[in-house]
Amino acid sequence: MSVLTADARREFEIHRYPVLIYALVPVLAVVLQAWLPRVLGRFAWFDLPLVITVFFALSRRNPIQGSLLGGVLGIFEDALTGHAIGINGIAKTLVGYLAATIGILVNVENHAVRLFLTFVLSLVGSATYFFVVRFLLGMSMDTNWMSELYKALGNSLIALVLFPVLDRTKIRD
Amino acid sequence: MESFVVRYRNLLVLLVLLVAQILGLAMQVRRANGGQGDGQGVRLIRLWANGIVSPPERLLHSSGSGISGIWNNYFDLRHVRQQNADLQKTVDRLRLEQAALLEDAKQGERLQALLKFQQKYVYKTVAAQVIGSSGTDQSRVFFIDKGKSDGIDRDMAVITPDGIVGKVRDVFGHTAQVLAINDQSSGAGVIMESTRIRGILRGNSAGRPEIVDVISDQRIKAGDKVLTAGGDQIFPRGLPVGEVEKVVNDPERDGFVYVILKPAAHLDQLEEVLVITATEPRFPPDQQQDIATSEALKGAEAAEQKTSEGMAEKLPGLIEPNLPADQQPLNDTSNPNPVSRPPVAVHPDRFTPGSGTAPAGAATPDNGQAAPGTPPGAAKKKPAPPATDQSNPARAPQGDNQ
Repeated sequence: MSVLTADARREFEIHRYPVLIYALVPVLAVVLQAWLPRVLGRFAWFDLPLVITVFFALSRRNPIQGSLLGGVLGIFEDALTGHAIGINGIAKTLVGYLAATIGILVNVENHAVRLFLTFVLSLVGSATYFFVVRFLLGMSMDTNWMSELYKALGNSLIALVLFPVLDRTKIRD
Repeated sequence: MESFVVRYRNLLVLLVLLVAQILGLAMQVRRANGGQGDGQGVRLIRLWANGIVSPPERLLHSSGSGISGIWNNYFDLRHVRQQNADLQKTVDRLRLEQAALLEDAKQGERLQALLKFQQKYVYKTVAAQVIGSSGTDQSRVFFIDKGKSDGIDRDMAVITPDGIVGKVRDVFGHTAQVLAINDQSSGAGVIMESTRIRGILRGNSAGRPEIVDVISDQRIKAGDKVLTAGGDQIFPRGLPVGEVEKVVNDPERDGFVYVILKPAAHLDQLEEVLVITATEPRFPPDQQQDIATSEALKGAEAAEQKTSEGMAEKLPGLIEPNLPADQQPLNDTSNPNPVSRPPVAVHPDRFTPGSGTAPAGAATPDNGQAAPGTPPGAAKKKPAPPATDQSNPARAPQGDNQ
């Protein structure tokens, strides 16, 4: 991955998408995230809202938008659990911010780079979630890091397929 | 100052978002510790999330159910007749067993009345389908397709025929959120069937149900059945919970153990559940009807058995001990369907039936087995003297049955 200078960074293309994509894709991600674990059982090693957060943050290259999208998706995820609202929200807010910030600094057009970033950011999200639950809320949490690793791998594989598909929907100047 | 804000705008927004969410978490935890439920704002967020997610989930679920229903109901019907017959036999057997158990239940009711304790029976249930989950393995909740409009309310027990599943945590218009028994925030009063040790069931961090705060007891063994205790005002007493899988020492408290359970209900593969919407201190009408049927069946079977015994007593026997040998029913010529007699021997000897010279027990060859061509019963019951057969009754049925 190549780090670029400030002048070169401005030349990065900021992708734009139809409003329908902005509205539908995150909702679909939350719906599938709630539905698929019923079908796949304990093999549901993925976090679709996180993948979507990373995608839009990398594409838009706007940390504020990335943080907001991550926060909203995380809060929606929390709302479907019996837990306090904000645990996933904090984790995904951070992930969205980091993804957009990295998107500014680094050329992320390459699929391999986006794959690697998704993997790393998934682990960052899991670590943040664990930190909030364990240290901010003081709840006991049995964290299986192998499972988190599988989840990060699953997210990367989904990103490998999903990102090119979503790229096709971007508005071309 | 302005340049600072502009320069660090992104970071400031991030901090604001994080601080706002942390404050929100703190307020929720405070409310939870104070025994209060979700606040108005949190409740609204949950309602919105449910409103957005539930309709597509229902659609996905009904589509999947439709396809599998077409396959299961129209194509994959092999062995259904055999299964139906087997099930009918099981139902008949269970009805008889239920009628037998009813006596115990009635006695239990009388004793409970004496103790002024009212047993709650499952009076009314609503069947619901599981349409979605929380989406994370840290939260063991799921959504069902029945809500307030179907009579579902908070804290109602959710069960399957195998065992208890959880309780209704939150109710929306047409859906409801169920907190499973293996969630860390769940709780249910349970009792071990054999040892009668009571405890509180909750989920552990790995998503396994466990009984906590149990004093170490050597009698607790793997495989022991665990039932609901009925003291939590949610689950009726006596519903299956699961069985003991293992006992683990509490690392923080000496003398206490955790009892890890294998749940009776398949919590990971739930499709349909029953929500108990009403409990009453008497049997529900359909169950009373079933019990009445069982009692009628049991009575009919008993009556049938009695009748057959009575008829057997009234029917003339082949041997009438009060009559002489020539007037025995076997020799009754008035009978339109006389019992076939053995052929007359061409060269009678001492073994020939009726010769009067045969030794006791030698009427049939091979120690009581009828000779070929000898009609059943005749070989043993016709020979004189009759006392021979009566003196050795154990042999007679043996010969008759062969």
